[in-house]
Amino acid sequence: MAERSLLSVSATTLEFGGVSALLDVDFEVESGELLAVIGPNGAGKTSLFNCLNGVYTPRHGSILFEGIELVGKRPARIANLGIARTFQNLALFANLDVIDNLMLGRHHLMKTGLAAGAIWVGRAKREEIANRLICKDIAEFLDLDQFGSTPVGLLPYGIQKRIELGRAMAMEPTLLLLDEPVAGMNLEERNTMTALIQQVRAERDMAILLVEHDVDFVMAIADRVLVLNFGRVIATGTPDVVTVHPEVVAAYLGAG
Amino acid sequence: MEKFFQLFVAAIALGGIYALIALGFVVVYKATGTFNFAQGGFVLLGAYLVYQFGDDWSLPFFVALILAMVVMAGVAAGIERVVIRPMINGPPFTIVLITLGVLLIIEQAVRTLWSEPAYVLTTPWGNGVTEVAGVSIRHVDMWTVGFATLVLGGFFAIFRFTTIGIAMRATAFDQEAAAAQGIKVGRSFSISWAIAGAVAVVAGAMLTSRTGSVLTPGLSFIALRAFPAMIIGGLDSPGGAVAGGVVIGVVEVMALGYLDFDWIGSGFEVVLAYVLMIIVLLWRPNGLFGTRAVQRV
Amino acid sequence: MKLLPDKLTRMMFGLAVLIFLVTPLVLDDDFWMTVLANAGAFAVASIGLSILTGFTGQVSLGHAALLTIGGYTVGYFGADHGWPMWAWMLAAILIGALVGVAIGPFALRLKGNYLVVVTLALVFITGYVVENWTSVTGGFDGKSVNSASLAIGPVDFGELHIFGRDFSREQGIFYLCWIMVALTALVGRNIIRTRPGRAMRAVRDRDVAAEVIGVSNARYKIAAFAISSAMAGLGGALYAISLRFISPSNPAAELFLSIRFVAIIIVGGLGTIYGAVIGALLLGPLPELVQEFAGLFDFTIPIVDRPLVGDSPADNGIFSAASFSEILFGVLLVVFLIFAPEGIAGMIRRLRRRLAGRSNVDPDNVSDN
Repeated sequence: MAERSLLSVSATTLEFGGVSALLDVDFEVESGELLAVIGPNGAGKTSLFNCLNGVYTPRHGSILFEGIELVGKRPARIANLGIARTFQNLALFANLDVIDNLMLGRHHLMKTGLAAGAIWVGRAKREEIANRLICKDIAEFLDLDQFGSTPVGLLPYGIQKRIELGRAMAMEPTLLLLDEPVAGMNLEERNTMTALIQQVRAERDMAILLVEHDVDFVMAIADRVLVLNFGRVIATGTPDVVTVHPEVVAAYLGAG
Repeated sequence: MEKFFQLFVAAIALGGIYALIALGFVVVYKATGTFNFAQGGFVLLGAYLVYQFGDDWSLPFFVALILAMVVMAGVAAGIERVVIRPMINGPPFTIVLITLGVLLIIEQAVRTLWSEPAYVLTTPWGNGVTEVAGVSIRHVDMWTVGFATLVLGGFFAIFRFTTIGIAMRATAFDQEAAAAQGIKVGRSFSISWAIAGAVAVVAGAMLTSRTGSVLTPGLSFIALRAFPAMIIGGLDSPGGAVAGGVVIGVVEVMALGYLDFDWIGSGFEVVLAYVLMIIVLLWRPNGLFGTRAVQRV
Repeated sequence: MKLLPDKLTRMMFGLAVLIFLVTPLVLDDDFWMTVLANAGAFAVASIGLSILTGFTGQVSLGHAALLTIGGYTVGYFGADHGWPMWAWMLAAILIGALVGVAIGPFALRLKGNYLVVVTLALVFITGYVVENWTSVTGGFDGKSVNSASLAIGPVDFGELHIFGRDFSREQGIFYLCWIMVALTALVGRNIIRTRPGRAMRAVRDRDVAAEVIGVSNARYKIAAFAISSAMAGLGGALYAISLRFISPSNPAAELFLSIRFVAIIIVGGLGTIYGAVIGALLLGPLPELVQEFAGLFDFTIPIVDRPLVGDSPADNGIFSAASFSEILFGVLLVVFLIFAPEGIAGMIRRLRRRLAGRSNVDPDNVSDN
């Protein structure tokens, strides 16, 4: 199967004033698979995501998505190519309600500009209504449709995490980046989220790249695992292989 | 070449004044993160206080000056404590606007307390001029350079070498950590505002003196011309403020002196300062010496 | 999402329209007509600033300069060159938009305070251009705007004649200004509740995250500047029409005017269109009203033995009328920022939320719009 991988990261190095956040990182993600990225704090997991999104520009290396080079492209362009993201510390728009947040996920798929928006009747209205319906469906799917027009900033943390997932889904991505999707959740919320992620995977044909600390969660859900430590890849493979890898064990035990 | 020397001292003098004003802004910004529009008001009020103590109450000029600096430091610290401190943890946007409101209030308060349209500020050097090697240098310019150097030097000495200065720098760098170390953050805030008030007095007095010693309420907006100075220098760099101030002062005086073309029209030297600022910002979005804010996602 | 989401809003709107139509008939006084017309012109400009600052989060102290540009546009094209109304209005809007597009890119490179000072640069640069480009602006002498055409089709706002009734120029301009307010508010509201408006609010709240999910900061920051400057240009043109004159003012006065606009949108309520209109209605005419009614504040302060506000210098009032209004703005700005940062619109919203909790009012319609 000489198929091209969905995402192909090669020799990627990210530096901040002399310190390497990422060093010579190489890995691939295939369509439809779920690759978990684990590693101690400060290993470079979020930096990796930021590179994929175009927020940081790596000093060396190449990131190919469906054969297209991402390095050097603006984040909005990368979103348009089909990569969606949730954030470690949440990045919702606190003053807007659930549907508006989801609608922002639809932004790159919609076309209404200033002129059409100003007029409203006609194209803007049609597009708005059509996309709102899609967002309502997503909200229902994620059990988020009972919050009306409450600004999301006022909602509980677990709910906000789900809204962020919904926004990412609304973007209709081919690759979904989840940065610690169950961080700070209790057991019940965690199980709900895990089930949702599985469901999303099943229903839509997308690959998922996921950062998480919870090794059990990762074992249960991931097809393959990538382990980072001090910005380097120290192991890649299926969960059972990786978790007994000597360097991985050392890194986790060493880091405490 | 003669023209250059003729203008040189005046240029450095104006530069020194802008440096003082810019420093007042930057000290407050660095210590509290507040962009303080009211600084222009401090310059204004400061100058009027010197008039009040010196001319109206007939105190000797230098006594009046020092007294005005003390009073202004108190007023500034008072404003900080009452109006700014409660809002310090809100959006920065809000505080900037509050300082704008304070500027308006100070401006009007001055107009009310001193109701004549203009006053004459008497200074020991008056309109004196000295001839040196065929170049006439105004005394006011020499005194300005002297005062500016003294005040700026004093400030940097305090900032670098005393505990208070170190405390301020620590607070500017990381408020929480500073507080954890037992540094009284609130005191650092007050002191920074007090310093801003005090340097504004010197700037205001010298600015008035060099423009014919006529004191009018319009003085507060001359402070606006110092903005390009601190932007060019970088909002969180006291050294940058001084450098920026001198640059702007020199640019203004030299432009006025050399760019004598008909088509240029009036008021060009001020616009030039702002244009220069824009050019610098395009190249360095945080000023020449400012530090880039790190954005975490 | 709907334009007039619920019954209460519809009623209020209907009431507002009624008041608008009836006012000139009831209030047949040139002074008041002019005051209200000016408030309308300011409202148009304020809606623009609200979009820029309230919805896109870009602070600007250069708004006054844009009004000045609009005023000179109508002076030059409308009065000097006799363009028809639709033409000079379009010119004011387009030139404003162009200036906005020129400033917009700065917002991409610069953050917060640095951006604010660059907008100040606009004030200085405009002042310089206005004073020196005398062929177009008339320099220090200013320019009469009186002869600009106010006619569109069969309707001439300068000489309205409806149902056999003659309206004065002031009344006509009142109608013209407030019709433009309605149109501007409609455009503003439409933009806000559709894709571009959502994008702007995303840029305001979290610009980096917005970019990551596909909202181009560049496009929307520049768009916000363009729209707000276009509206400011229109507002400035209307203001000049009402004053019949446009002349340069010094940077200090322009800065004060810019601050007035900021006060208007803060007091009105930062995240709403109608808040800008309320703010303009209340604060726009303040200086003129204080000037006119200085007599009201004539009471003498005991210890100082002088009236609070003096009509003229001879009165020896503690404040002059101009000073008093400036201080009032300063105080209002500070008071609202500290105690009521959400402005009047925010207070109304909170009131409605509280009411919604107690009665059958649909809670779905009390959100951030």
